[in-house]
Amino acid sequence: MNAPVTSFDTVSVTVLPSVARFNLRIAPADLSVASAAFGLTLPTKIGQGAQSGDRAAYCIGPDEWLLHAAEADQQAIVSAFAAVRADTAHSLVVISDREMTIGIDGPDALALLSVGCPIDLSRLPIGGAKRTVFDYAQVMLIRDAEDAFRVEVWRSYFPHVHGLLEIAARELTVGL
Amino acid sequence: MLLIHCPYCDDTLPELEFAYAGEAHIDRPADPSKLTDEEWRDFLFIRTNVKGVHAERWRHINGCGRFFNALRDTVSDRFLTTYKAGEARPDMQTLEAAE
Amino acid sequence: MTEYRVEGRGRVNRAKPVKFTFDDKTYEGFEGDTVASALLANGEHLMGRSFKYHRPRGVVTASSEEPNALIGTTRGGGKGRFEPNTRATMQEIYAGLKTESQNKWPSLKFDLGAINDRLYMLFSAGFYYKTFMWPRSFWDSVYEPFIRKAAGLGKAPTEVDPDHYASRYLHCDVLVVGSGPSGIAAALTAGRAGSKVVLVDENSEMGGTLLSEPSVSIDGQPAWEWLEGAMAELDRMPNVTRMTRTTAMGYYHQNMIGLVQKLTDHMADVPEGAPRERMWRVRAKEVVLAQGAIERPMVFDGNDTPGIMMAGAAQTFLNRFGVLVGKKPVVLTSHDSAWYSAFDMADAGAKVVAIVDTRETVSQALLDEANARGIKTYLSYTATGTKGRLRVSALRVNPVRNGKVGSAHLLFCDAVLVCGGWTPSLHLFSHTKGSLHWDEEAKVYLPGHKTEDVHIAGAGRGLWGIAAALEDGTKAGTDAVKSLGGNAGVATYEVADDRTGTGITQKELPTDRSAGKAKAFVDFQNDVTAKDIRLAVREGMKSIEHVKRYTTNGMATDQGKLSNMNGLTIASDALGKEAPQVGLTTFRPPYTPTTFGAFAGYHKGKHFEVTRKTPIDSWAEEHGAEFEPVALWRRAWYFPMAGEDMHKAVARECKATRESLGIFDASTLGKIEVSGPDATEFMNRMYTNPWTKLGVGRARYGLLLGEEGFIRDDGVIGRMRDDLFHVTTTTGGAARVLNMMEDYLQTEWPDLKVWLTSTTEEWATIALNGPNARKVLAPFVEGIDISDEAFPHMSVRECTVAGFPSRLFRISFTGELGFEINVPARHGKELWEKLWAEGQKYDICPYGTETMHVLRAEKGFIIVGQDTDGTVTPQDAGIGWAIGKKKPDFVGKRSLDRPDIVAPNRKQLVGLLTEDPKTVLTEGAQIVADPKQAKPMKMIGHVTSSYWSESLGRSIAMAVVEGGFDRMDDTLHIPTENGDAVPAKVTSTVFYDPAGDRLKVE
Ligand SMILES: [Zn+2]
Repeated sequence: MNAPVTSFDTVSVTVLPSVARFNLRIAPADLSVASAAFGLTLPTKIGQGAQSGDRAAYCIGPDEWLLHAAEADQQAIVSAFAAVRADTAHSLVVISDREMTIGIDGPDALALLSVGCPIDLSRLPIGGAKRTVFDYAQVMLIRDAEDAFRVEVWRSYFPHVHGLLEIAARELTVGL
Repeated sequence: MLLIHCPYCDDTLPELEFAYAGEAHIDRPADPSKLTDEEWRDFLFIRTNVKGVHAERWRHINGCGRFFNALRDTVSDRFLTTYKAGEARPDMQTLEAAE
Repeated sequence: MTEYRVEGRGRVNRAKPVKFTFDDKTYEGFEGDTVASALLANGEHLMGRSFKYHRPRGVVTASSEEPNALIGTTRGGGKGRFEPNTRATMQEIYAGLKTESQNKWPSLKFDLGAINDRLYMLFSAGFYYKTFMWPRSFWDSVYEPFIRKAAGLGKAPTEVDPDHYASRYLHCDVLVVGSGPSGIAAALTAGRAGSKVVLVDENSEMGGTLLSEPSVSIDGQPAWEWLEGAMAELDRMPNVTRMTRTTAMGYYHQNMIGLVQKLTDHMADVPEGAPRERMWRVRAKEVVLAQGAIERPMVFDGNDTPGIMMAGAAQTFLNRFGVLVGKKPVVLTSHDSAWYSAFDMADAGAKVVAIVDTRETVSQALLDEANARGIKTYLSYTATGTKGRLRVSALRVNPVRNGKVGSAHLLFCDAVLVCGGWTPSLHLFSHTKGSLHWDEEAKVYLPGHKTEDVHIAGAGRGLWGIAAALEDGTKAGTDAVKSLGGNAGVATYEVADDRTGTGITQKELPTDRSAGKAKAFVDFQNDVTAKDIRLAVREGMKSIEHVKRYTTNGMATDQGKLSNMNGLTIASDALGKEAPQVGLTTFRPPYTPTTFGAFAGYHKGKHFEVTRKTPIDSWAEEHGAEFEPVALWRRAWYFPMAGEDMHKAVARECKATRESLGIFDASTLGKIEVSGPDATEFMNRMYTNPWTKLGVGRARYGLLLGEEGFIRDDGVIGRMRDDLFHVTTTTGGAARVLNMMEDYLQTEWPDLKVWLTSTTEEWATIALNGPNARKVLAPFVEGIDISDEAFPHMSVRECTVAGFPSRLFRISFTGELGFEINVPARHGKELWEKLWAEGQKYDICPYGTETMHVLRAEKGFIIVGQDTDGTVTPQDAGIGWAIGKKKPDFVGKRSLDRPDIVAPNRKQLVGLLTEDPKTVLTEGAQIVADPKQAKPMKMIGHVTSSYWSESLGRSIAMAVVEGGFDRMDDTLHIPTENGDAVPAKVTSTVFYDPAGDRLKVE
């Protein structure tokens, strides 16, 4: 997918290309098996993330992880987890198409997200992720840098979330 | 809008991330067929409806997804504490001593 | 220069004259003026007519509590931008602003509605309750139209508001509400300590009382210089945000404060894309309320005559706006503060006729200053009347000696400046349910027990003077920082020429005339007089809450900011009780009237609510579909061809599907991945059906009950692996079912190794139905054999369809040969288009939800939520076969033996065939056994589904009917709105192909 960018003076709103995305559920005690299968040591604290190359993992619940990888690797990752399933119970579900991803970058990124996010965004650690809400939609909020975020939102909620972000980005440009 | 502490995330977050889930500490009987109609009725429908400290369930539905328990004062709408599902209801005196 | 503008005074920009209109007449003011200050500069006091009596009213305050000067405004661009009841004291002028007075006809100066004023007796306390009681026959034709006409001030806008409203969340350490000296001191203190501070004020500039008190000096600087320095310092701190034109309108739990910021209402040219207002939802760790105090009117006959206003307001109009509200004012007061207003007026060139004080003594210093300016003073005097109707021309005053009112004389004047004391502004504090305690000495309510992390500073807790405010604000700031675990330096301020003072409060002023005839107003906005309040007490109202509702005192949009304390004082006098025993009414959000736009924010137009669309939605739109909302989704409802109405389109779609091939977007169905070694056990416990013996690659109808035994949801469930189920739910039930499953899994059966993941939106789902379904699908399928033998009804496989990875089901919700193809969502539309192209050979027909409903109803398949309503058991619905009888337990099983559930005569789902096959029953219609029985008839059920069946050439319906299964072939009756009843025969719910032969297409 191409990446339409709506660029404003102090913040840009970008529809990001798709990635291979998985929801992983596994007992924390078995986490090393998952880390080995995925090729990345998974973080253990809710909100934390870990990255290596194009693989990333975010802990989003006591036994729940969001995994990202290159699209080309999707089947290999499914197979790697399938190979250990008999010995180590877990659930790996492909959700690559469930969500769309919006990139929000620029000095006003926090202000823009604050139109829909009730949480104190400044407390979100860089490199971490959190499931939360944006307006009426549940979203996954990933912080890549001080002023760079990604919002993953279920496909059917995307127009609503993206539309609000564009309206609010225009406000920031007007300066009011 | 209330602030609620999720005992799994160990974070205090806006109510918008949470959903109420009814009174706490009502365990589903292990074998419902052994219950009399009256006992089953009580399990289904009878709730304490307290004025004061209420043990209740919440779900961090727009967060970690976990159900947990809370003690909330229904008069002041204030949360006294929250604790994980399966844990015993905290003793009020211990709670007050800790404050 | 207009007549009342004073050279060298005020903060308005003299270099920028601004023209605006009021009642179509053009006026000139300056940038920085409000409508009120600009009209006063032109000598206009008359700005409105009162609500009930249509009495002429002038502006009485210079601030947001203004009860009288409420005007209609038309913002730039006109259409849809009309707003009624804008406070003229808050609306800034700009070039092109159009304003108008309200509640008058034909004109503000000559208003026929003022006849109400002559009919005073009709409108006294409780008049609604008394007047409109009798005779009953008058209600529809006389009373209600009268009330409707009289109700509300101003006229509601008739056009859609085209403006844009915004909202944001904000988190800070310290929120300071009010930017007078105490608020500024608190913000400086917390800001210097490094806290994240937000300082807000509803005015266009900060400074509060300092803007009206330029003669004070702080730290050796004139007040305004000091103010400028303080603002500059705050602006230099990156941790401090200042917001003007921003009203803290509500104080909610745990220090959440709603702020409404007006962004463009003061602009002649509004930038494209700019929001008009923004609602800030602030979560502050600490809150400082520095909202000051509100001046109290005095209650005497004619106290609402235009030209009579608060003394403090006159001081503000003079010092902040450079406007003399009169050239020959009289001051009437019971508080020292008004004396200073008189001195400022005199120093600005007004001829102050007199200062009339109800107190017996005041300080010698005040008397000396009055004498020095040649102002006459009358101590221990009362005011008993006024002259002038559209503008005050004289105040009637009398001496009071030993409680006796002496003879009157007139003080001729063009304005009367009154001050009956000051009321600490504690509205926001009241929102928190903080208690107020009565200060007997000051006769005011002060903040008591606090429920939030809040500090109240300055005049809000009864302090008086700039020095006290600065000191108290500093303390509030220090306390806030300390609560945050920090330490703040304590600044001290040297204040010179501070005008401290004291005063008393009182009930309505004594008079030598009949008190019963006095029009002595307590509540200007709701036209409540002192007499009304005393009447209410005489008629038995004992608490202030009753007095309030009986008289409507304090119930106008200003929530009694000016009137509550006077009303309470008079009511307690009438009751012979102390004020705290009479009580205090509760203030509630919003602090000042707030637009619907501010509350709605972005949620209007296409963002009013989320509209979920499937990956195939755009195809449906391109092909002319009509849509219907289902939960948050919009779904294609039917696909009309040229000239077709819904009935014709649905008949065609049904026929095409049954005869050849229909294609349907089923993507909205909920999908849940149930995965893990205990998945079968979990499914056995959740659903009524048995799952253990369901083979991999097979699918089964699943029925979900609530623990109380009623149907909650249903759907087809496929077994993908031993440890993996593909569960489908209803469209509306998806989130609910997942939540319910998670609840049981997490809290009742945490030992089960099972995990749940929503895949509703991972898959696009396309249903192909009809005798040619396999023919169109087969060429696209790779990896499996989809022949009837290899892939029988109720099968599921993973394969590829058109090269896309797929979960392919053979199932049918229509009774025809059917397949449901799940592919990753991004490929949904492309697959649809490929099937569409291939399907042309078979006259493929896209159908929507309406046809789906008809086809399933012909087969008697229920729709949860339509044919069930949360009180229907599996047996009631005729699907008891879905219960795994040998299972020891599942959710809801025990309840199926509950006495109520096994009781006879429950409502049961049956089919209905009308005697006249052309009559289609109304869904929801009630059913009776005997249409001739007396009304009210005994209703024994209702129609749940009803359609025209093209396949059967007649109408069909489903209904829940008491004891329905035992009424087969009985004739029941469905009364209609035109009075007759439609007879219909009770039947099975399966109307079409009861043997299911049509599924078996080779
Ligand atoms: Zn949590």
